[in-house]
Amino acid sequence: MKVAGEYLLAAAPDRAYDLLQDPEVLARCMPGCDHLARTGPDEYEMRMKMVISSIQGLFAGKVSIADQDRPAGFRLVVEGNGKVGFMRGDGLLTLVPQPGGTEVRYEGEVRVGGMIAGVGQRLLDTTAKMIIKRFFSKLAAQVDGASSSGAGA
Amino acid sequence: MIPQEFEYSAPTSLEEALHLISDGSAKVLAGGLSLIPLMKLRLAAPGHVVDLGRVPGLSYIREEGGKLHIGAMTTHYQIESSALVHSRCPLLAETAAHIGDVQVRNAGTIGGSVAHADPAADYPAALLALDAQVRLVTASGERTLPIQDFLVDTLTTALEPGELVAEVIVDVDVDGATGFCYQKMAHAASGFAIVGAAVRVRRSNGRVSFSRVGITGLAPKAFRATGVESLLQTPDDVASAAGAVADGIEANSDLAASAEYRCQMARVYTARALRQALARIA
Amino acid sequence: MSMATTVTKAETLVGRRLRRKEDPRLITGTATYVDDIQMPGMHYAAILRSPHAAARIRSLNVQPALDHPGVAAVFTGADVAGVGPVPCGASLPGLRVPAHSVLARDRVYFVGHPVAVVVATDRYVAADALDLIEVEYQPLPAVANPEKALEPGAPAVHPEWPDNLAFTYHQEGGEPDRAFAEADVVVRQRIISQRLIPTAMETRGVVADYRGAEKSLTIYSSTQIPHLMRSLVAQMLGLAENRLRVITPEVGGGFGSKLNVYAEEALMGFVAMKIGKPVKWIESRRENFQCTIHGRGHVDYYEIAARKDGAVLGLRLKLIQDLGAYHQLLTPAIPTLSVLMMPGLYKFRNVSADILGVFTNCVPTDAYRGAGRPEATHGVERMMDLLAAELRMDPAELRLLNFIGADEFPYATATGLSYDSGNYAEPLKKALDLVDYHRLREQQQQAKASGRLVGIGISTYGEICAFGPSPATPAGGWESATVKIEPSGAVTVMTGASPHGQGEETTFAQIAADELGVPIEDVIVVHGDTAIVQYGIGTFGSRGTAVGGPAVYYALQDLKAKILKFGELLLESSDVTFSGGVCTCNRTGKTVTLAQIAAASYRAMKLPPNTEPGLVATHFWEPPNFAFPFGAHIVVSEVDPETGQVEIKRYVAVDDCGKIINPLLVDGQVHGGVVQGLGQALFEQAVYDQDGQLVTGELMDYAVPKATMVPWIESDHTTTPSPVNPLGVKGVGEAGTIGCSPAVVNSVVDALGHLGVRHLDMPLTPEKLWKLIQAGGQA
Ligand SMILES: Cc1cc2nc3c(=O)[nH]c(=O)nc-3n(C[C@H](O)[C@H](O)[C@H](O)COP(=O)(O)OP(=O)(O)OC[C@H]3O[C@@H](n4cnc5c(N)ncnc54)[C@H](O)[C@@H]3O)c2cc1C
Repeated sequence: MKVAGEYLLAAAPDRAYDLLQDPEVLARCMPGCDHLARTGPDEYEMRMKMVISSIQGLFAGKVSIADQDRPAGFRLVVEGNGKVGFMRGDGLLTLVPQPGGTEVRYEGEVRVGGMIAGVGQRLLDTTAKMIIKRFFSKLAAQVDGASSSGAGA
Repeated sequence: MIPQEFEYSAPTSLEEALHLISDGSAKVLAGGLSLIPLMKLRLAAPGHVVDLGRVPGLSYIREEGGKLHIGAMTTHYQIESSALVHSRCPLLAETAAHIGDVQVRNAGTIGGSVAHADPAADYPAALLALDAQVRLVTASGERTLPIQDFLVDTLTTALEPGELVAEVIVDVDVDGATGFCYQKMAHAASGFAIVGAAVRVRRSNGRVSFSRVGITGLAPKAFRATGVESLLQTPDDVASAAGAVADGIEANSDLAASAEYRCQMARVYTARALRQALARIA
Repeated sequence: MSMATTVTKAETLVGRRLRRKEDPRLITGTATYVDDIQMPGMHYAAILRSPHAAARIRSLNVQPALDHPGVAAVFTGADVAGVGPVPCGASLPGLRVPAHSVLARDRVYFVGHPVAVVVATDRYVAADALDLIEVEYQPLPAVANPEKALEPGAPAVHPEWPDNLAFTYHQEGGEPDRAFAEADVVVRQRIISQRLIPTAMETRGVVADYRGAEKSLTIYSSTQIPHLMRSLVAQMLGLAENRLRVITPEVGGGFGSKLNVYAEEALMGFVAMKIGKPVKWIESRRENFQCTIHGRGHVDYYEIAARKDGAVLGLRLKLIQDLGAYHQLLTPAIPTLSVLMMPGLYKFRNVSADILGVFTNCVPTDAYRGAGRPEATHGVERMMDLLAAELRMDPAELRLLNFIGADEFPYATATGLSYDSGNYAEPLKKALDLVDYHRLREQQQQAKASGRLVGIGISTYGEICAFGPSPATPAGGWESATVKIEPSGAVTVMTGASPHGQGEETTFAQIAADELGVPIEDVIVVHGDTAIVQYGIGTFGSRGTAVGGPAVYYALQDLKAKILKFGELLLESSDVTFSGGVCTCNRTGKTVTLAQIAAASYRAMKLPPNTEPGLVATHFWEPPNFAFPFGAHIVVSEVDPETGQVEIKRYVAVDDCGKIINPLLVDGQVHGGVVQGLGQALFEQAVYDQDGQLVTGELMDYAVPKATMVPWIESDHTTTPSPVNPLGVKGVGEAGTIGCSPAVVNSVVDALGHLGVRHLDMPLTPEKLWKLIQAGGQA
């Protein structure tokens, strides 16, 4: 399944770039993430509890970052494994300076397997988009929160 | 195909039901048509299921203050076959008749359908076109939300933990002056809407004086196509107005229909629904 | 072969539209299916299956499941090392047969591959415990598309065979190269018969019950082949065949998917023997989609050579068969049936075919209603339409021109078959009359002129049925019957065929009632229990009535000879006839009824020497040839240019299945068959993604036709008796499916022909057609 889109963050590219790679920030923004720990350079292990209405799944996985090109972009790979199935998202994030912030463009592929691949076809695409949307809106909230606290400092 | 172990309660009063769900950890069971399959696949594993089936006073259709009030536990079949709905709100009856098959309509409820918020469910399209409101109750109070605020995203609503959908309230169309239509392209396997268009229109002096267009299946949640409504100035505008239905929409895509195809079907079905609705004006 | 019947009753039951004897129990919910079986001490099994299409099992920890209260045992691949492999009954030269263990060892090869089995005191506990098993998989690259699997560098499904080829097979007849060199026109097309999921209403299920003191195992299984299953499972478990009893209760649909021996049958036998308790396993719908065989899975490259005047000269086929990861019972044999039937009803004297049997990381394909023949018919019937379009000929005329003549039977085909009897023009002409073809074409022109997309599609099919002569089948090709007249005169027929919805409890009773002159109510037909019924082969390949029926018929002839002998004894005369249920002395006119004869035969007073008491006869009948039914289906369809949706406006099926024993049942078979054909033509497709995930994993995504999606089906018949059996019957179980898909696709191609559309692959989904219409016919 291909995913693509863009999101405007109210932060300059350098800051947006750092935020997108800050494990603390990622942990707060990944929907349902309750644990994220660095396991190596640009590699993190993660645990997520995904809840969408009555549907829930526990995933254990890892996040890795590659092809760093600060602040223009990088590659993000998220893998998760759980009883209800497994997924792997592999995408390119491109940061484009815009007046008032940075446009984060993402383009990639999400592959799912196991139960969720076999029974959820009809809702897979909308659900994936919703999760990405949740991630970015949380990130945007972080940026706002960070910048307001930054302004106070 | 076997759910995880769960506790089951069948309260016999609304108070008891609201009490049982008040801490937000229990899952409400209505017709079970959406919840039970998820549980059997173990995609949902609630520890406690509270069955509304024996709670009296949740299944009704009555006219009050110029509105139709429909209890959450009213089944699709009751709505489809109600003389009152047919005369006061025929769009809803027509929409209910498009849901699944007879067994589904005999078990599924309107409260369950809106609470589940499937992006391809039929009711939301009609409810948007009917300026519906959803009344929610908790152990300590209640609130009423317009349907567009109630529907938040795919499978996501404004329901808070401990809250129940008590009823759905819709506008009443009196005197046949309002044309209506629900048109649906059904997914060959699931029967859910690839797209569904629910419309209401009124005319005066050769112009379209009122229109409501609710669209399901196309986007992550059902939405009111206000762009179409404002372009529909006269009956001759149907094609061009319907052509705008997918503007600015990030359309869903799955095995059965790509985003491009869905958008086009939304245009086609919206136009068909509008034409038929206009033709139905008495 | 002559008909030796002595029926003198004015009215026979054979030929009448009788309601089925099996229906009352089915429609009142009192029939017994595998899941209805309950036994004291019953345990329940749940199977852990691979979520990966290809992976190495790095580690497997079943201890948490074993520790779960209520769990009796957990078994893994290591535990079942002593159980024999899942059998493949087909043999082809050079066939590569992967080791197929009932549970995965260290690798999994498709999504759904069984990895471990949990046995518990109830099915809820078993399902919970399944979740506790810890497996660490190392995913490996997978390939789910047979053409991709053939590309160099594709992931190897089985590492020992990096080319993914299970076999190649070549067959040739006549001089194909010369035919193509001399042809005026050659038409080529790639044609896909997609993977389908058989979707029997009742999923599979097994109950196994082992009695240690008797060393005897009973397996209840929803199968089409109880006796073959007994032989094969006994081998897998190392049991003496007479220590295994297979019982087939009611079977809620098979369609070929239960013409198999699966891992689970032996696995449940193994479990029952290990735990000493009866065990039940009922397949979920998800498992049914993932682990029960699929059908079709062809990519075919066809070439047809013809003269300018339309006479066909030659046919070439390269057939790529998606086999899946393993061979099930008949997996590699199915495409060979396509090759046998590739000439269809036409005088193709020069043919050549190459099969490439390809492994993929998918569940195996095997027999599904039609098994190889729908693919062949779809191919040749599409090619005939393509040729007609190329030559600007009418598709009906082109077919009539090329049919094998009614005077040419038995007809030796270029693929080595001998067609038994036929009059191929007759059903086509009848169908053309029924639709008023010439007027219909005019109406179509008018509709098209006004912008409507109306199409007319014809398919004429022939199929190979009544499997079959033993030398041409993997197991025996005969069928058996025992007819017993009980001391009271009641009649019991035991058939080795194992009917499961076809209605032979009725048709065989009709035959027996006619032959014995008794009311049909006096006859019961028993089947599906290896401890009661003599060895038999089973029901598949439209053989139940066509091979099982004659066995019943001949057993009845043997029995009638015995009846006559007892009649002579009782009437003290040598001039006796048996007719209408009584023996009559032709001299005195004295009579004795069948009940009296039966009673006397068991009482056995004053029998002359060498007279065997009782009235029982058994016959094993070996057919001398296959039977070849045929027919013509015509479809009128209309495509909505705005949406691409297809509406079937008219469906006419004229089938010739030889003599008809019960027209109601024949219509039922045709209707059901057509519906499954429509499913393939319009809706169904098993979709694996590039990683080998089955994404149509549930009925929410896999579209079987529902009642509201099915058009009115007009069914008619012509009757050309088969000379290969005394009943003149040919078989009709698969005809509807075989005739349907090309008629539908031909009609839709015809509807879009003016846009330049030549061919469409199934299923004809709205979006596919819409895109084509948008692109002005250019795919
Ligand atoms: C085969 C099949 C075909 C179908 N086809 C269609 C179709 O074509 N169109 C269509 O629109 N739908 C279709 N459906 C869905 C059907 O309409 C369901 O009935 C409906 O979506 C859910 O209603 P329910 O009463 O069964 O709710 P349940 O399954 O009992 O509940 C669904 C969810 O809503 C919650 N809930 C239920 N009632 C309340 C309440 N009063 N307050 C708060 N939360 C509540 C539950 O906790 C659960 O999360 C189909 C379903 C099936 C099984």
